[in-house]
Amino acid sequence: MANPISALHEILRKVPSAGETAGVTLREIPSFHLTQIAAWPETLAEVSARVAQGLQEGGRAPAPGRVMALGDALMLRVEPLKYWLLSTDQPLQLPKISAEEGATLDISHARTLLSVSGPRAADLLMHYLPLDLREAAFAEGALASSAMHHVGVTLWRSGTEFHMALPRSFAATLTDLLCQSAQQYGLRLG
Amino acid sequence: MTARRLSSGGRIDRSQTVTFRWDGKRLQGFAGDTLASALLANNQRIIGRSFKYHRPRGVMSAGVEESGAIVTTGRGARSEPNVKATQQELFEGLVASGQNAWPSVRHDVGAVSGLFSRFFAAGFYYKTFMGLPPFETGRGTGIWMQYEKLIRKAAGMGSASRLPDPDVYDHAHGFCDVLVVGAGPAGLAAALELAQQGRDVVLVEQDFELGGDYLAQSDPQAITRRDTQVAALRAAGVRIMTRTTAFGLYDNGVAGLLERVTDHLASPDASLPRQRFWTMRAGRTVLATGALERFISFGNNDLPGVMTPNAARSYLNRFGVLPGQRIVVATNNDSAYAVAGELAAAGAQVILADARSDAALVAPKGVELRQGLAPFNASGGRGVSGIEFASQQGGAWRVAGREACDLLLVSGGWSPVINLASHLGARPIWDSALACFLPGKTRSDIHMAGSAAGVWQTEACEASGTAVARQVIGADTALPAAGGWQTPIAPLYEVRVPGRRTKAFVDPQHDVTGDDVRLAHQEGFVSVEHLKRYTTLGMATDQGKMGNIIGLAMMAEALGREIPQVGTTRFRPPYTPVAIGALAGRHTGPHAKPLRRTPLHDWNLRQGAVMTDAGLWHRPWYFPHAGEGMAEAYVREATAVRETVGICDVSSLGKIAIQGPDATEFLNRIYTNPFAKLPIGRARYGIMLRDDGIVMDDGTTWRLGESDYLMTTTTTNAGKVMVFLEELLHTRWQDLRVHVTSVSDHWAGVSIAGPKSREVIAPCLEDGEAVTNDNLPFLGVRPVRLKGGIEGLIARISFSGELAYEIYVPSGYGEAMMALLWPQAQAQNGVLYGLEALGALRIEKGHVTGAELDGRMTIDDAGLGKMASPKKTFIGDALRRRPELTDPNRPQLVGVFPKIRSDTFNAGALLTAPGEDSGFGDGWLTAVTHSPALGHWIGIGYIAGGVAAWEGRRVLASDPTRRGPVEVEIVPPIMFDPKGDRMHG
Repeated sequence: MANPISALHEILRKVPSAGETAGVTLREIPSFHLTQIAAWPETLAEVSARVAQGLQEGGRAPAPGRVMALGDALMLRVEPLKYWLLSTDQPLQLPKISAEEGATLDISHARTLLSVSGPRAADLLMHYLPLDLREAAFAEGALASSAMHHVGVTLWRSGTEFHMALPRSFAATLTDLLCQSAQQYGLRLG
Repeated sequence: MTARRLSSGGRIDRSQTVTFRWDGKRLQGFAGDTLASALLANNQRIIGRSFKYHRPRGVMSAGVEESGAIVTTGRGARSEPNVKATQQELFEGLVASGQNAWPSVRHDVGAVSGLFSRFFAAGFYYKTFMGLPPFETGRGTGIWMQYEKLIRKAAGMGSASRLPDPDVYDHAHGFCDVLVVGAGPAGLAAALELAQQGRDVVLVEQDFELGGDYLAQSDPQAITRRDTQVAALRAAGVRIMTRTTAFGLYDNGVAGLLERVTDHLASPDASLPRQRFWTMRAGRTVLATGALERFISFGNNDLPGVMTPNAARSYLNRFGVLPGQRIVVATNNDSAYAVAGELAAAGAQVILADARSDAALVAPKGVELRQGLAPFNASGGRGVSGIEFASQQGGAWRVAGREACDLLLVSGGWSPVINLASHLGARPIWDSALACFLPGKTRSDIHMAGSAAGVWQTEACEASGTAVARQVIGADTALPAAGGWQTPIAPLYEVRVPGRRTKAFVDPQHDVTGDDVRLAHQEGFVSVEHLKRYTTLGMATDQGKMGNIIGLAMMAEALGREIPQVGTTRFRPPYTPVAIGALAGRHTGPHAKPLRRTPLHDWNLRQGAVMTDAGLWHRPWYFPHAGEGMAEAYVREATAVRETVGICDVSSLGKIAIQGPDATEFLNRIYTNPFAKLPIGRARYGIMLRDDGIVMDDGTTWRLGESDYLMTTTTTNAGKVMVFLEELLHTRWQDLRVHVTSVSDHWAGVSIAGPKSREVIAPCLEDGEAVTNDNLPFLGVRPVRLKGGIEGLIARISFSGELAYEIYVPSGYGEAMMALLWPQAQAQNGVLYGLEALGALRIEKGHVTGAELDGRMTIDDAGLGKMASPKKTFIGDALRRRPELTDPNRPQLVGVFPKIRSDTFNAGALLTAPGEDSGFGDGWLTAVTHSPALGHWIGIGYIAGGVAAWEGRRVLASDPTRRGPVEVEIVPPIMFDPKGDRMHG
């Protein structure tokens, strides 16, 4: 089986790493499965509940602008009628969704995933994202679709980390910008 | 002026000597100095030269309003012109020099222009040099265009470096509950009160120290108060930003901040940006921006050694510099009394001239008080040496004696800094009792505190800050009243003595005089807006901080009105200059626009690709062999595609997943041609129009399932098409159950084109039979599994006119796909080909791209009218039938050959009949190439009426600015294999 190649494999090789004193740790999540579930207004509640419960017994689908950990997956509400399901191990076994109910779409290779952590992670991200990332405003489980250097990106907070989904074709240039700005805080590549 | 550093006092650190260079001289100051205070301590009198007359100028203030000590700092690429020495923090190794002078500010040849200054009144240059008699009387500005170069060279400020800026700048976003601008007594009190009430507060201060007016006070209690407040702020968690200017306020609580990160550092950390450009979003904003002391207009009021009393106080108490020994303080208000006393206590001989005769204040200890006197005319060559006084007699000023001095301090009153409130539309309101503008009401959530609200005394400013903070929180708290002087100010803007002509400046930074203002009035420029533009009053880098009110008062007097009736101009951002680099942030050079890389980007580079921009994408342009240039490489590549096989990275094509039970209907409405009966496993070329009937984009759409399509678009229009589809579904066709999702980045795509393409692909597939003609006919689509288990899609479609396929695999497997395909292609003597060869191939076939579908052309113009179905409606169908769009004489797509086949022509050339090559011509060339298949130069373009209208007629490709006319032939647009035998073969 062929191995997939990251969009960042050339960029990250060139970045100097600050070691343990870093204010920001940046890590690419190399391999993941990302599936989009889109429903119709009249089927949204049923489809989202079925998917959430399929991921975790008793699981509930997240509200707009929220992300929830369900079983081995994350369920992200990226648009009013659209969810992303993210897993890092095996592809998820999803319930059958007919065209009358909605649509599923594999977009695993459309995004590059970054984890940004460390005491200055929010400071770094706010160089580019017009988002209020103060703990009270963007707490655990918060998700936002925003724009970095005019490019649409998705950001969410998981524990002490921020996660960013970057369009793959822009991932190298956006990561390069992040790495440049992160040098002032001390950057460690995870 | 004989300034000297005192042996004690001030907030400078005398244990840390700082060495710097001024105009080539090595000087020393201390940590905590500004460049201005250090220059004063070194008794440097002339720091700058004026804008127009090259008059010597010294330090006039201690802040952002500075109009005299304007210098250039740094060297080479880091040379920074128009820096106010009063704001530049001193650091080891700082290099500063005078500007707008030669050979130096101390001895400036340009000063000769001052001898003719009476001729250089406002508007002089335009009146004199535009339409210069007798050569251009009443017409033209040709001579002016030449003079202007000389005039601009003689006048002006410093020169910017022409080298690329070596520094980096960051953008940043911030959020807070309350933004407090200004860290003087009011700002500190407001920030502390807000923080103690649990608000998340950001406090910004343009200075490098917090404290504002506290820092300039001689009373040790003031510093103690300041230190206590600052410690409490830090303990309360207030986010403090020093060296940060709030340069603009905008709607919804947005403030623009400029943080100077390394401008004060001798050896900054290379990872730090020079400055940060902040967009701060605040729930509420408190403006504690203070007030600026202003001058009075009188003769030679710009001489070195003339400054404001508050500036002298700052130099004395903050920087430990006594700026003069024999000092005259001229005032019309109470604020100068304390300064006079402090200067006298420091050892200076001080005369205090109060224009008021009724001031109730007593003379400070050691100060000689003279009431009823105002400054009329300063004397001195390279610095002030004396002042003639005037007194009011019978309603006019009369000369009333002279006094020698080396420092003249002038206070004409105080102007609250209401600039930021003005940015949000708060109309300034004139307060005649305080002789200043106060901020008017605004609908925005901003609150004025302290002297920015006209409150003059320190304790009252503190109370004002606290009260404003409580109002912000929602308490019903009364604010301290504006004012605070014991004796009212006597408004005084100008002192003129009948029969005596002087050079009296209103706006020293732009050399605008009182006579200029009166001239503007005489010539009918009575509106304050016209006054500003005619005289340039308030248009320098200080934006009128020193001179605006004086100019308004003079215009009011000339008009016989009061100041409120004359009005004032609104202040606009920025409050102080902002470097262009800070606006750009890191979005410069390779990051000027976001760069898109295909999944094969690095692989292409490893194969030697020369890249080019295609929209935001970087795509291979050509793949040169040793010794080849672009011309040789693309011809070789295109030839190989026709003869064997070529592989081209087409990952950048837009790809949109269209899903849902109504997807077919959706496509049928969007495309001009029918999609209702497109079978699963088939692709169809489609054209979509804009609402106005003009072609928007084209591409193939693949039916993958009953309710599942993959639409491809052109590279550059992918975003536009996606937005259009979303808009249609969200606004017009909400009843359609369709989802659209961009999957452009999910797929790595290549085109394998040429007669050997099937031989290249088959060995790479787990089932090589998938690409036989039966299993994959022309416009067929199917899932495919490449060796190594790579799942993908394959379609038999052609842009080159050859037997061709496009294979898409998930992006991460793009390189793995090439590892399979490229060796097979090499075995067939195949090539990699780039955009240039792709262009040559498509021009030969008459296929259109964005060059032809340029937002002006109809589907008929492009020769694709047969694709507009008469049996259904579609977007743009109605308006494409407008008479203007169906005129048979509209330009139509054609091919173009040179009449003499060895000739060439350029894209962009006009197509015209001989002798009719003026104006817009009859058509134009959109793209040209050498055709490897035909063996000569060809082009594609549009010409009125199309091929039929030009049969047998002579046509020129007219190109007057590049290579002149070339005779051409108009031919059908499909210039190679018109029946498509190769493509279907």
